[in-house]
Amino acid sequence: MQRILLLAVVAITATNLHAQTKVSSATFGTMEARWMGPGTMSGRITAIEGVNADSKTIYVGTAGGGVWKTTNAGASFKPVFDKYCQSIGAIAIDQKNPRTVFVGTGESNMRNSVSIGVGLYKTTDGGDNWSRVGLDSTEHISKVVIDPSNSNNIYVAAPGPLWSESKHRGLYKSSDGGKNWDKVLYISEKAGCADVSVDPQNPNTVYATTWEFRRLPYLFNSGGSGSGVYKSIDGGKTWKELTKGLPAKPFGRVALALAPSAPQNLLAIVEAKETKLYISADGGENWKEQSATLNVVSRPFYFSTLVVDPKDHKRVYRPAFSFSYSDDGGYSFADASNEGGWVHSDHHALWINPNYTNQMYLGTDGGVYISMDRGATWIFASNLPVGQFYHVAVDNQQPYRIYGGLQDNGSWVAPSAAAGGVQNGDWKAIYGGDGFWTIPDPLDPDIAYAEYQGGNMGRVNLKTLKSVTIKPQAGSNDAKLRWNWNTPIHIGQNNPKNLYCGAQFLFKSTDKGTNWTRISPDLTTNDKKKQEQENSGGLSADNTSAENHTTIFTIAESPLDENLIWVGTDDGNLQYTTDGGKNWTNVSANIAAAGIPAQTWVSSVEPGRFNRNVIYATFDNHMYGDHKTWAARSEDMGKTWKMFASEDFTGFAHKIKEDLVNPELLFLGTEMGLFASVDGGGSWFRMKNRIPDYSLVRDIAIHPVTNDLVIGTHGRGIIIVDDISPMRGLTAGILEKDVHVFSNKPVPLSSGKFGDGGFPPTGGWTAGNPASLPAVQYYLKERVMTGDVKLDIYDAAGKLVQTVPGSKRKGINKVYWNMRMTPIKPAAGGAKMDYGAFVAPMVMPGEYTLKLKVGEKEYTDKMVVVHDEGNKNFSKEDLEARYAAAMDLYTMQADINALISSINEEQQLLKKNGEKVKSDKVKKLLRDYTSSLETLRATLLATKQKSIFADEEQLRERISEVYGAVAGQESRPSNLQLERINVLKGQLSTARSEHAKISRQYSDKVRLALSKEGVKTPDALKDKTGN
Amino acid sequence: MKWMDGILIGINTYTFVKTTKAHHMKTMKLALLGITAVLGAFTSYAQTADEVVNKYLDAIGGKENWKKVSSVITEGNMSVQGADVLVTATVVHGKGSRQDISVMGMTGYQIMTPTGGWSYMPFQGQAQAEPMTEEMVKKGADQYDTQGALVDYKDKGHNVEYLGKEDVDGTECHKLKITHKSGKEETYFLDPASYYLIKAISKNNVNGQEVEMTTAFSNYKKMPEGIVIPMSISLPMGPGMMADMTITKVEINKPVADSTFKPSN
Repeated sequence: MQRILLLAVVAITATNLHAQTKVSSATFGTMEARWMGPGTMSGRITAIEGVNADSKTIYVGTAGGGVWKTTNAGASFKPVFDKYCQSIGAIAIDQKNPRTVFVGTGESNMRNSVSIGVGLYKTTDGGDNWSRVGLDSTEHISKVVIDPSNSNNIYVAAPGPLWSESKHRGLYKSSDGGKNWDKVLYISEKAGCADVSVDPQNPNTVYATTWEFRRLPYLFNSGGSGSGVYKSIDGGKTWKELTKGLPAKPFGRVALALAPSAPQNLLAIVEAKETKLYISADGGENWKEQSATLNVVSRPFYFSTLVVDPKDHKRVYRPAFSFSYSDDGGYSFADASNEGGWVHSDHHALWINPNYTNQMYLGTDGGVYISMDRGATWIFASNLPVGQFYHVAVDNQQPYRIYGGLQDNGSWVAPSAAAGGVQNGDWKAIYGGDGFWTIPDPLDPDIAYAEYQGGNMGRVNLKTLKSVTIKPQAGSNDAKLRWNWNTPIHIGQNNPKNLYCGAQFLFKSTDKGTNWTRISPDLTTNDKKKQEQENSGGLSADNTSAENHTTIFTIAESPLDENLIWVGTDDGNLQYTTDGGKNWTNVSANIAAAGIPAQTWVSSVEPGRFNRNVIYATFDNHMYGDHKTWAARSEDMGKTWKMFASEDFTGFAHKIKEDLVNPELLFLGTEMGLFASVDGGGSWFRMKNRIPDYSLVRDIAIHPVTNDLVIGTHGRGIIIVDDISPMRGLTAGILEKDVHVFSNKPVPLSSGKFGDGGFPPTGGWTAGNPASLPAVQYYLKERVMTGDVKLDIYDAAGKLVQTVPGSKRKGINKVYWNMRMTPIKPAAGGAKMDYGAFVAPMVMPGEYTLKLKVGEKEYTDKMVVVHDEGNKNFSKEDLEARYAAAMDLYTMQADINALISSINEEQQLLKKNGEKVKSDKVKKLLRDYTSSLETLRATLLATKQKSIFADEEQLRERISEVYGAVAGQESRPSNLQLERINVLKGQLSTARSEHAKISRQYSDKVRLALSKEGVKTPDALKDKTGN
Repeated sequence: MKWMDGILIGINTYTFVKTTKAHHMKTMKLALLGITAVLGAFTSYAQTADEVVNKYLDAIGGKENWKKVSSVITEGNMSVQGADVLVTATVVHGKGSRQDISVMGMTGYQIMTPTGGWSYMPFQGQAQAEPMTEEMVKKGADQYDTQGALVDYKDKGHNVEYLGKEDVDGTECHKLKITHKSGKEETYFLDPASYYLIKAISKNNVNGQEVEMTTAFSNYKKMPEGIVIPMSISLPMGPGMMADMTITKVEINKPVADSTFKPSN
């Protein structure tokens, strides 16, 4: 094991900061993550706003994936908010100056898993740059509205914190474009503002709804005396509550919409004892109850979107559980058809193009849909990789597969690499519902275990996708089983035959979940007051297992001992057994002694793989309003705990992961970022590496063979940092060197694992592949600003094989040598590209010298290239035969281009000198010479081709075809390829003879004639004739 | 991604011709953009933006030296798997710019002048130079500003904003946003120690499409004329992949024939 950085870190924490090189994300910045997506199932969309002026620039806000912008109506999207909080509540565009956009962070669809925001942001350049403009403590923002008549007036509806009481809620207003904020409507620490609308014709008329709500880990309440509907006619200075025609209070959440084209028309869905739709035609003074479909009134805390067509006040849209629309101002509703394919349920955002109101964009729990027929049918945008994974796992296939479960989107499997790059189509859904733990059986590649909410787990045959329900049932003497929303399923890390799952008891199976044994007593606090989920929801019952509590939340069998099992619960217990479950020890008091609040969820446990007494754990207390990053290690089996701390930490902790090789290397995933430590937790840095800075990192896996870091994010799908081995190898000694070249393992000679099928991917999301060749890696202490960096590769004979430009960044750099020679430079003058110009033979196995040039300095290392024994279709003998043929062709490629170049040169000289000649006879002679050369030249390369669709083939093209084929293939050359080489050799030889013949025919005459004309014979002509 | 595969995997047998075509078109396009970016750097372009701009201009040889630059001819080589893509850029201040790109034995060019622009890309069989759209010509003025946009930027109608500091690969860089008269936006990331430009992101709206490009600069060298120029330009080709162009030759204030800025076919 390398002694990583201990020295450096000790020194850093001492006094002399600048003398030491600090490890940060940038040190490993070259390890850029791949965004695996997928786009085939996307994630929850919370806000969609478009630029009215062009109606093709649209911003999409997501539950946990930031803001994505399209400038082409959805053909492609780019993330524009990756340096900030990823949970988005609301977006508003200043339509008078549409490059000004506000983003309110903190989604307001207040489900159990909702994330938390950090305030309001503003951009004035279309999303390139953002600055935070306040409301930092609101945690959730549901709507931002800009006064259409005065862009300086901005209203922000902030429901405020979900898990605690707070003054930071209510309706905020700025009158100076976002610089200063006043709370203009405030009810209480319990009730915030859920919705706001501004009358576009009388912008001093403002409507707002207030909402009293609260979650506890085990209960949700929507409703209370703080909820109401309000109106102001003085721009928010004074308010009156609207009641006439509305039901008796208390209310829950109220969704309110006004018709932009006739704003005295209002609709409101009022959550109350009986939730109903109400309509007003007089600016809210009087309301009338309407009958409405179930979809219109369903789950009001979660479905709060109600939109009226911008031009037609009778056309009303209710995106909710499904999509409903009304043509009569809300009196009756119809549902969207599935003619264009299934539309994901659970809708939260709708933008209607005001210039063409048939076109609209819908945000669902499964991504964005686009309609061109006023919402009757929908097209899925499969290019938004914002899936919300809870967990991720990997197997041992090659390439390995990734398994994970997502909020609202079931359980999925995909390969980590695929020919042409991993695309949407490579992903396969294997189980439904909300997905959580999805675990491959390490002993049977056809089996995975998956589940949906509340412990409903199955054993899935990955070939047939048939599944068997394996959820344990309560034994004859057992109480009712309590299953967490996100029930843990675990495979033994020491004995992969062991399958575990946990309710309040721990269950174990050794026959793939067919039969189970309860191996623990109730490991939770079994606190009865936390078990009244039947009463959850408040005014509207909402008991979906999301509030199930006093349950086991995390399980881990020690990688060193199958009898050592750790279990963490959602109510603060952390327990272990050393005898496979006979006896259990609760260390919760020890955790409390370390400062972690009681009742805190144990979000992950990670038993050490190098020392059985070591245990890592993360704790999540956000459900009690505490967002601190709690992560700790015990080195004495949980007796004493040391908290990890860092100024960089943000977000409550979900997962800690110890590296598989280096115990000093740790990863920590939180609700707001991924952090790494290379010194055993002494210091931490935020990992950027093309990972959004505040990613919601729910789970982390490390692949034992490829050394890939696989991250399950709750909003950006799966993210992979390929090959983290440089993080293991950067010792304190290396860190202080100016330049260090990392040694290479022997490299198998290969042109890569995959082909590409010939067509680029169309649509959807493409994640690419990991580098298919190993990189040459080097460390630079500082960025190189003056001087160049390049890598020269020499063979054993000292011949330069190829030069590869090197990157110059501070930290780890990577360059790739394709194990080929240097291609022949092509001769100019053809009407077609010389495809041979990018071809070079692969080198043979052997030892190569790497010379890394950094400025004036040179650093030397070796690389051993070996035969690829893994490729059974390409023997050593095949390799030799290919090499011989490819080298033949390499020479031919050099010869044909040399021949063409010399003809080009001669023709140019003849032309140049011809201009000095006066005699018509000599002019003719020169013309004849030139034209003989041209006749020959025209047989050597394509000179006439006018279009790629009128293919012309001459000798160079014929050579290129075989050359490209032979040098490119991992195969022995075929009989006909070899025969062809000989034929072409003959043709090349004939062409050279023909050239010599032309030279003989003309050179003397030309020389003589030119000298008579007083023109000095050009050297090139002399040389070519041999005189 | 395809491009990255191409670099890493090498050229495959059966798909050889078609994939190389696609790859090389991309190389060429990027090379041309790259050369424009080089000019952006040279040609460069108000702690206040003006302070940062002045420090930058001082770092690269001083405003006065840049104002003396009337023409620049650069030759560059982009090495792709050992094969060369050669790019020559010729710029005469206020008159025109031309980039020639040679790849696989063929040469194409792109010309921009105040009155017209042309593009000749024979690689896929284009037989004649095609004129640029009026909009492109209108937006092309930066391409023949040899001094760089930041020299007398106010007079040139550009706007510069200082956006604070931002991390670029571990260096806290000064961030400048340059909004060109043409509407093109560029963000400069300047090394706080040397004030050299490390990275530039340009955003342009051309023919209804937003084109964004990130370019990195390094290996700064002082020319006899006193100006300092980056001799290495990197164009990102996908995650972790860069195409690097090395400037092999720079000629300043050499006379350039007017015919250079006329399409030859």
